[in-house]
Amino acid sequence: MAAVIVLLCGLGPAAAQDMAAAPAVPQIVQEMQPVIDGLAKRAEELSKRVDANAQDDARLVELRLELERIASEALAAGVAFRPRLTEINTRLELLGPVPAEGQPAEAEIVANERMALLREKSQINVLIGAAETTSLGVNRQIGRIAQLRRDLFASTLSKRYDINYALVGEVLDGLRSESTKFTRVVTSWLRFVIQFKLSSVLAATFFALAGAAILLIGGRRLFGNLIVPDPAEADPPYISRLSVAFWSTLLRSASISVFLAGTWYFFNYFNVLRGDIGAMLWAFFVVIASTYFVRRLAMAALSPKRPNWRLVEIESRPAGVLVLLITLTAIVSGADFFLTRVFATMGSPLSLTVGESLVATVIVGVLVVLIGHVKPRVNADGTPRPWPVWLRLSLYLLGSVTLAAALLGYIGFSRFMSQQIVVTGAILAMMYIGILSARAISEEGAFAGTALGRRLEKRFQVEEAGFDQLALVTSMLVNLLVFVVGVPLILLQWGFQWGDIRAWAYSLAHEIRIGTVSFSLIGIVTGIAVFAIGYYATRWFQRWLDGTVMARGRVDAGVRNSIRTAVGYAGVAIAGLIGISAAGIDLSSLALVAGALSLGIGFGLQNVVSNFVSGLILLAERPFKVGDWIIAGPVSGTVRKISVRATEIETFQRQTVILPNSELINAAVGNWTHKNRLGRIEIPIGVSYDSDPRRVHAILTEIAKAHPLVLKNPEPFVLFGGFGGSSLDFEVRVFLADIMNSVIVQNDLRFTIFETFEREGIKIPFPQRDLNIRIADRDRLADKLADVAAPAPAPGKRRGKRPDPD
Amino acid sequence: MTRIYIAIAALVALSGWSNAASIVNSDAEARTVIVTEGDSQQELSLAAGQAADFCPNGCFVSLEGERETLLGSETVEISGGRMRIR
Repeated sequence: MAAVIVLLCGLGPAAAQDMAAAPAVPQIVQEMQPVIDGLAKRAEELSKRVDANAQDDARLVELRLELERIASEALAAGVAFRPRLTEINTRLELLGPVPAEGQPAEAEIVANERMALLREKSQINVLIGAAETTSLGVNRQIGRIAQLRRDLFASTLSKRYDINYALVGEVLDGLRSESTKFTRVVTSWLRFVIQFKLSSVLAATFFALAGAAILLIGGRRLFGNLIVPDPAEADPPYISRLSVAFWSTLLRSASISVFLAGTWYFFNYFNVLRGDIGAMLWAFFVVIASTYFVRRLAMAALSPKRPNWRLVEIESRPAGVLVLLITLTAIVSGADFFLTRVFATMGSPLSLTVGESLVATVIVGVLVVLIGHVKPRVNADGTPRPWPVWLRLSLYLLGSVTLAAALLGYIGFSRFMSQQIVVTGAILAMMYIGILSARAISEEGAFAGTALGRRLEKRFQVEEAGFDQLALVTSMLVNLLVFVVGVPLILLQWGFQWGDIRAWAYSLAHEIRIGTVSFSLIGIVTGIAVFAIGYYATRWFQRWLDGTVMARGRVDAGVRNSIRTAVGYAGVAIAGLIGISAAGIDLSSLALVAGALSLGIGFGLQNVVSNFVSGLILLAERPFKVGDWIIAGPVSGTVRKISVRATEIETFQRQTVILPNSELINAAVGNWTHKNRLGRIEIPIGVSYDSDPRRVHAILTEIAKAHPLVLKNPEPFVLFGGFGGSSLDFEVRVFLADIMNSVIVQNDLRFTIFETFEREGIKIPFPQRDLNIRIADRDRLADKLADVAAPAPAPGKRRGKRPDPD
Repeated sequence: MTRIYIAIAALVALSGWSNAASIVNSDAEARTVIVTEGDSQQELSLAAGQAADFCPNGCFVSLEGERETLLGSETVEISGGRMRIR
């Protein structure tokens, strides 16, 4: 600020001099001056209102929102100068600096322009400075509001009232006078309504009823037996019980709330309400809606009349008692809320509010203790069993804290507790049921068993796997719904204001900041959605290209596969890029990440990258296609799928082998069916030296030619391959149109050859060896043999009986 | 399919940022700018050649009486004792 003033002073005489020549105020200054002045004025007004409303939490939140708006408007006002400032700066640079002492003076026109520009710049600077001051002040007010609200909440909870006998008398007196006053207010309003606004009231009620009816009937039509328990069903599955409890509570309470809110809105719209009646009616409606909600929830979960639809495993009688106690708690707590509002609106004495709240909170405390005291289950021998220890203790604790706080005079705290017990407890229970039912839905096969599942199955013929996926999506949606509805409701209960929650939700969706890094949920969701759309569009385009264009164009299967794969990867990559930019992520920061990772990729992912590149080469070069019979090293089988990293090969034993592409590129790959499926098979065979080789040759040639699968051209050929140790070796070589038939043809040929040889008397010999034994001293051996033979003839005989192979 | 989603999520998590405004001092001497952001006013000293991230939610900056307003995504360069927004 000081700098600006100095600058202004420096420019003062020059500006004044120039005023005569060009007195006009620059356009941008003319435009923005009132805007910035207006902001300052509004900020001042708001800060006065903050002082005035320091005790009103709801007003403070509203004021904060307004202040935040002014802060962002101040920033925007500052930014509005930027184009002009840039222009001025550029021009000033072009004009150059003021010539120094001793240098030749510049032209007057240049000096004048510089002067004008500098003057405009300083005016802009002053305005930006004003905007800055406003922004600073507004932000300080925002900080102050936060502090005020914290103090307000703490003081409400910690304020202590004196409770003594005098209070009783005051309360009774107050009650008498206030009830007459209340009756007078209400009757005068009713008279006014009946006399002047009857048609409006009827119309408002009709509209509200119509809204609620649409919700209720529509919900019933949509969810049908999800809402109404079927009394005929003896043992409904847990998931059905859960969803009936959840949906019946939610839909019915929502209809009631819509009816009440609609009534209030239309009453307000038709000016039926007067200030005091409006506030009281609103409180009344809130109480009715929340009490109804609590009772519905208790009925749904405990279901005292229909034990088979009960969610919690307890006995019927305690269930009835519990529903009664819970409803009573809700009614008492609601009445307290309503009466407090009424007393506040009518400006009743404080002692009345204190006395009334004291009674109400004491009752709530006692009721909670009683709920903890209920014995809901029975032991094996039939004696009643209390709640589990942790639950009983926490209920006792809650009840006694409420009681103690009320009796000690901490009415604010005690009332806060009793309201929380009822409303937060109900919302938490509701959320818990919702989460449980979401979990039950997502369990495998559970969804198909429900009424909705059966109906879907009948109408749309959904399969089991489809059901599972549907169930998963449904459960995620239910979870989301539970949190989106439940969390704000609880926050509202805990003294947060609607404006707060909206601001949080907005900033959460738009910008999450961790240090200097920020990202936006909406951006990410958009990015993912765009990517998903791109992905499915790619798949569709791929199918269309492959099935329609290339199939009709009679493109070779290998080329088709390559093109389809390439299109698929390119499409996914493009979808990814578009998705990333839609998510608002700067791709240049990706380059940074890629740069950092490239070293790691170079070393750690060497193999993967090598396989990837090999996959690309395979796609381009196409040494084999899907369906080919290839032999790569030890693996022999049919190619099933060529991916970018690896190729799937199915061996003839139906084992799938995943072969990294680099092995298919770096080593020799045999392909039986590369250009065509033509192939040659050989059947070696040996015949006895006794047979006539020409006859054998003729027979073999004839057999080969006779087979229908053997090609005529190239002609089958029988090779007289050599004179083997025990046989004449022949080899039948035949060509097949489809090498895949090799095994069948081999079988046929061998059977035929064997049968024909058998018929023709041609022998297929066993391997033969002539064994010549030379004995040096034949006589002595004969003597020894005779000696051995005489005393023990048995073992010697067996050896001697061996037949001579010749 | 799942792998693709995980990969995308990882990518987003790795690089899912849009930085705050940044300022770089290209002059040969140190410069001090006054930054007014929210309810605080602070001096930010930048040595010659030093760069810094600042002002993620928009702010007013001033350097030797010259003022600028930033929304929080700009890059400011100081050269010749003046701020220039790129």
